Amino acid sequence: MSIINYASREIQFKIVYYGPALCGKTTNLAYIHERISPSNRGDLVSLATAADRTLFFDFLPLNAVVIKGFVTKFQLYTVPGQVIYNATRQLVLRSVDGVVFVADSQWEKMEENVESFRNLEENLTQQNLAIDEIPYVLQYNKRDLANTAPINYLEFLLNNRKKRVQSFEVVSSTGQNVFASLNAISQMLLHKFSKEGEAAPPGTEPPPVAIPIEPNGAAQSANSR
Amino acid sequence: MNSIPVLTIENVASLDGILADFLKKAEAELTVIIDRGGNAISQFGDVAVMDVTIIAALAAGSFAATRELARRIGEVEFNALYHQGNGSHIFMNSVDDDTIMITVFGSRTTVGLVRFYSAATSQAISTLLKSLQGAEVEGFRFDPTDVSATPIFADR
Repeated sequence: MSIINYASREIQFKIVYYGPALCGKTTNLAYIHERISPSNRGDLVSLATAADRTLFFDFLPLNAVVIKGFVTKFQLYTVPGQVIYNATRQLVLRSVDGVVFVADSQWEKMEENVESFRNLEENLTQQNLAIDEIPYVLQYNKRDLANTAPINYLEFLLNNRKKRVQSFEVVSSTGQNVFASLNAISQMLLHKFSKEGEAAPPGTEPPPVAIPIEPNGAAQSANSR
Repeated sequence: MNSIPVLTIENVASLDGILADFLKKAEAELTVIIDRGGNAISQFGDVAVMDVTIIAALAAGSFAATRELARRIGEVEFNALYHQGNGSHIFMNSVDDDTIMITVFGSRTTVGLVRFYSAATSQAISTLLKSLQGAEVEGFRFDPTDVSATPIFADR
């Protein structure tokens, strides 16, 4: 749960990147760390195995906008995706404010995507949270690969609840739509705690399809490094 | 309606008073009160040299991870953890079900002294935090117009 400190004039939010093993959660954080202004971020902390698989979590603290003199701080975490590390995922989810669910678009990963989403729901339930009560967005990652499932199918599998959420086509390795999805979840969190109490800005219902990748702009931005 | 729990300036001053007294007696460098989700609630001492946000996240993780270890030997959790370095050390102890106290100290003092004073300090903090939970303080909410629609984070 976020907390506001009137003495240090800070507000903290916790965002967790969740998803199946090797879907690109750590790559998301690494891209954000590399591309965001150093004055707005702390170090990227990775607790990983020798083979660079997330063992415990990755952590990236970000400072964002100042609202009414209060600095908003967003703390990004990833969970270990491998099935055996469920106890660790439960620990990382503690006091979560918002979730970015990263799905792997490859056909052979569909079962793992669904299983991971169910696991997220179960682990939230253990904290007396329902998935529909907390702000979350969906990423359909690895759209640059050849064997990806169509977006409609991913939407049918993962975004077929009563309340549709915002979803993004993403290539986390080149950063396409990585910031778009981070900005979406951050906006949702700020609006959740605004006086209207809505998780989404008024009048901005999620578009009926996933936000597509912009081939030119994003590619140029990735190449300009 | 959703609102954010608030620590008022008076609350923080009370917390800081307890922590300042502890640091002086224990001769430690820094003490941080965190929740078990890894958020720093309050800190006191030499905070300029360390990134308290990262210390809070890692300490919460460390505490949570050793909880499973404690269960294997029939404990609910370890009440305290001590990490010994060459020059700097960390001592962490449980304040209550939601809160942990972290102390960073160097060669000026000993783990025994830190442990001794942290017991009373965590009791005092626990009592203070409990009293805040019962207090009728209205949570914080933004005005919708404060939250601009422009992207919060920019890709350089």
